[in-house]
Order: sequence, then C-alpha cells, then structure tokens
Amino acid sequence: MALAIRFALFGCTNRPFFHIVVMEKRRAQRSGKIKEMIGSYDPMPNQDNQKLVAVDFQKLQKWLGFGAVPTKHVAELLGLGGFYPIHPMSYIKAKRKRTLMEKQVADMQAKEETQETAAIQVNEDTQPDSTEDASQ
Amino acid sequence: MAASMKCAWARCLSTILLNSTKHRCQISQPLYASCSNITGDSGNDEIIFRKGEGGTDQTRQEAGPADDTKKHRRDPGKAFTDVRVQKILLRLTGLDLDKVYEYRAAKGAGVAKVALMSDQQLKKVYESASYKALRKLQMPPVLGAREPIDEVLSEDPELEGLNTSKLVFIDISQRVPLKKRTIVVREPNGTLRKASWEERDVTLQKYFPQSGRKIGLPRMFQQDNLECMLDDGKHEYILNRACSQFEIDDPEYIRVTQRTYEHIDGNGKFEDLRSTRHFGPMIFYFTYYKKIDKLLVAFLEEESLEDSLDLVKLYHIVHPSCKSAEKVASMPDATPLEIIRAFAEMDATQKSLVQQAIQTYEKECDSTGSTQLRR
Repeated sequence: MALAIRFALFGCTNRPFFHIVVMEKRRAQRSGKIKEMIGSYDPMPNQDNQKLVAVDFQKLQKWLGFGAVPTKHVAELLGLGGFYPIHPMSYIKAKRKRTLMEKQVADMQAKEETQETAAIQVNEDTQPDSTEDASQ
Repeated sequence: MAASMKCAWARCLSTILLNSTKHRCQISQPLYASCSNITGDSGNDEIIFRKGEGGTDQTRQEAGPADDTKKHRRDPGKAFTDVRVQKILLRLTGLDLDKVYEYRAAKGAGVAKVALMSDQQLKKVYESASYKALRKLQMPPVLGAREPIDEVLSEDPELEGLNTSKLVFIDISQRVPLKKRTIVVREPNGTLRKASWEERDVTLQKYFPQSGRKIGLPRMFQQDNLECMLDDGKHEYILNRACSQFEIDDPEYIRVTQRTYEHIDGNGKFEDLRSTRHFGPMIFYFTYYKKIDKLLVAFLEEESLEDSLDLVKLYHIVHPSCKSAEKVASMPDATPLEIIRAFAEMDATQKSLVQQAIQTYEKECDSTGSTQLRR
C-alpha cells in the first residue's frame, strides 16, 4: 500500500468539495481511514470568482518526509500554488483549452461570416431588377 | 459615604498608578506585537514588542522627525508610541470607574453581585478593579495607512486559459501569527502574486474567524449609514466596532475613526469619550493634525487647567519645531497660563476663540479667588 497525499471528495450532488488528506492510495476516500487531513480545495468559485485552497504546509512537508506521494491532481494544485514547480499537465491542459477556445472563436466567426453572406445573397435575390439595371 | 470614598480613591489611585514602579506607563506589549509594521520606511526604526523585551530602549525613542516632512505625516505611529505622549494621553483619559464598568447588554454579562465588606476589603476591591480598568483603557494605536502589497512571485503566461477564476492559496499551519500567514493568488493569466490586504482580511476571516468581525464591509460603515449613526450620537459604539472589525492600519479604520473624531469636534462632544479607550487616540489625532483649538477651549470651559496644559505640552512634543514650543523652551519658569497663552498667540488656528476662552477662564479664576491647578 502506498501512502498518498490525495483529494477526498466530500460535498453533495452538484456541489463537490475536496479535503486534501494523507491516506493509503487505494482506500475508499469517504469511508476509508484517513491518516491526517492537511487541507481543503473548493473547486466551485465563490462570489469574488476565487477557488479557495487551504494547505497546512508544515504537515505536508512532514508527511512528504515520511514518504507520502502526492497524486497527479494534488501535485498540479501545489504547482499552481508555488509549492512545487508547475506540473507539465497544467501546461498541456492550458494549451488544450486555449486551442479549443481559439477553434470555437474561429468557428463562431466563420458562422457569422456565412450568415452575413447568406443575408446579402437573400437581399440580392429579392431585388433582381434593380441589380440587373445597375449592372447594365 | 461611598461616593466620597470613591472620589478619594480615584484620585489616590491615579497618583499610585502614575508613580508606582509596579505599574509603569507601558504600551501594551501584546497589542503592539500585532502591529509589527508600525513604521513604514526603514527596518532599523521598527518598533516590535516581543515577549521578554521589557520595551525599555524602544519605548524611549524620541518623537518622530520634524513635523513638516512627508515621512512624519504619513506615520503618526512613531509619535504615538513616544512614552511622553502616552503618559499625557493616559492622564487626560482619566479613570472613571462608573463609566468603565457601566453595564452593557452583551453575551455573558452576568447578574451583579452584592457583597458585605469591611473598609479594607472594599479598598482592595477598588484597587484591583482599577488595575483591571486600565486594561480596558488600552488605547488602540494610531498608525498611518498600510502600504499596499504589490509583490509578484512568478509570471507564467503559458498557463493562460487553464482557469477562468483565481486560485487563492492560504497556509493553515499551526501557530503562525495572522499577519505572517502566507496567502498567494494565481490569476487566470498565470501570474502568481501575494494577496492584497483586502483579500488577506477576507480570507483570514474565513479560515481563522475573529469574533466581532464580518467578512466584507459592514453596512454601518458605509458613508451614509455612518453619518446617520454619528448624528444619533453613537460615537463610542462606532469606534468600538471599528476596532473589532478592522486592523488599525486599515485605510477603512482610519477613515471611520477620523470621520467620527471630526464629527465630535464639530459638535463639541469630547466628554462622550472621556475615560474610554478612544479618548487618547482622539486627542492624538487632533494634536497630530493641528486641530486642537476646540478641544483646548472645551478644557478651559470646564476650568481644568491641568488638562489644557497637558494638551499644549502634547502639542509641543508632537510638533517640536512649532513656534510656541521654541518660545516655551526659552521660558523655563513659565506658569501654565503663560504656556497656553503662548500657544494661542503663535500656533492656534482659531486664535480669537482660544484667547477668549483663556480670558473667560481668568475671569472665573479671579471671581472664585483661586489660581491653583484644578481638575
């Protein structure tokens, strides 16, 4: 069994809330035996658009000294907080989201353009005489 | 019998307290330990009161530099923590046991006890009550507004797009003073920076709640509501609540307290705060910003020459380069009235008002046939 620093999902339906705990990696997160709770992470932004993360860094360092290993997502979070270097997955996720956003923006613009051209086409079709006269 | 005894004991106690070695006029150490950023600029001027350091060297620092420099203006804390200033403020505040132990409807306020005591036992109870009352009269320090926090720890533009909201990290390690807790924010654009004072206050209140504080600004302190409260005369309540809600170097605290003092000045209701912990800071505010005229007039109208003299002496300590201070320094045997007159002639902003008050006082003195110092 491996000692891990991991999230334990609490909260309720449509309202997740994570405790950052030290426990064996394969134990059940809610019903399993937690060695120590060293923090919390609230993934839902509050009124000031903040996601709150609290970590007892002294205890974290103590358990790291005992050989506990943070899971991927905890390591990412700690990287964002400045305790660890930024996790490569953070960069990858950020890049993926940016590409997706850009693609969505490009799609939206393409859609708007096609709509505009379609509207112009419709205008031209409904007024055939005037354009024919103008071109002649 | 009890009333006259109380009076006698109040006077006796104030002499004991000012002269005794057991209780010296000490600035409260735990209170000042929490104000570790009293001075703004250089580290070697910092006044940090730690346990075990009797505060002897540090409390005897001189009052701040010449009054017209920007540094001094920004930082009243240095002048406030001068021992001479503290002594005068304590003397002016006074000790009215009835007012200090006034019944306040609050949680935990119990039923008053009635006891049968001998004179000696009563004496002891008054003594201990007075020592305890001095703790209630601890003055919240007057400091300059805190400098904004503006430190960026890391810039990571490659993280742009990862989050649409900020990530706020707080260190919840045990036994770390609130002011030293690390709170950092990772912005959506990838910058990792230290949290601003406002963010700090809100986050600390969420994780380490202090009683009597609300998250965000209570509506009472919004400008319009504050004016309503002031017009109702609730000065002491406002100041007490401001003290529990804000940090003392919070610009909001400074705004609320200064507005309250100005309102008191406008209505002449200085005695409302007498024998409370806000009297000292209020006097200091007026002295520091050179607005003591109405206050001086109020003291003279009450015919307390000692208070008036104390006020002028305080002015001379806080503004040592003012004209009347120099004149008084050149007259070592000046009587109290001469000192006050010198101030009125040279440094009073409302000269005629103060001079008139002095004349009225002199007339009263002559009519009652006494020129001795009276409280």
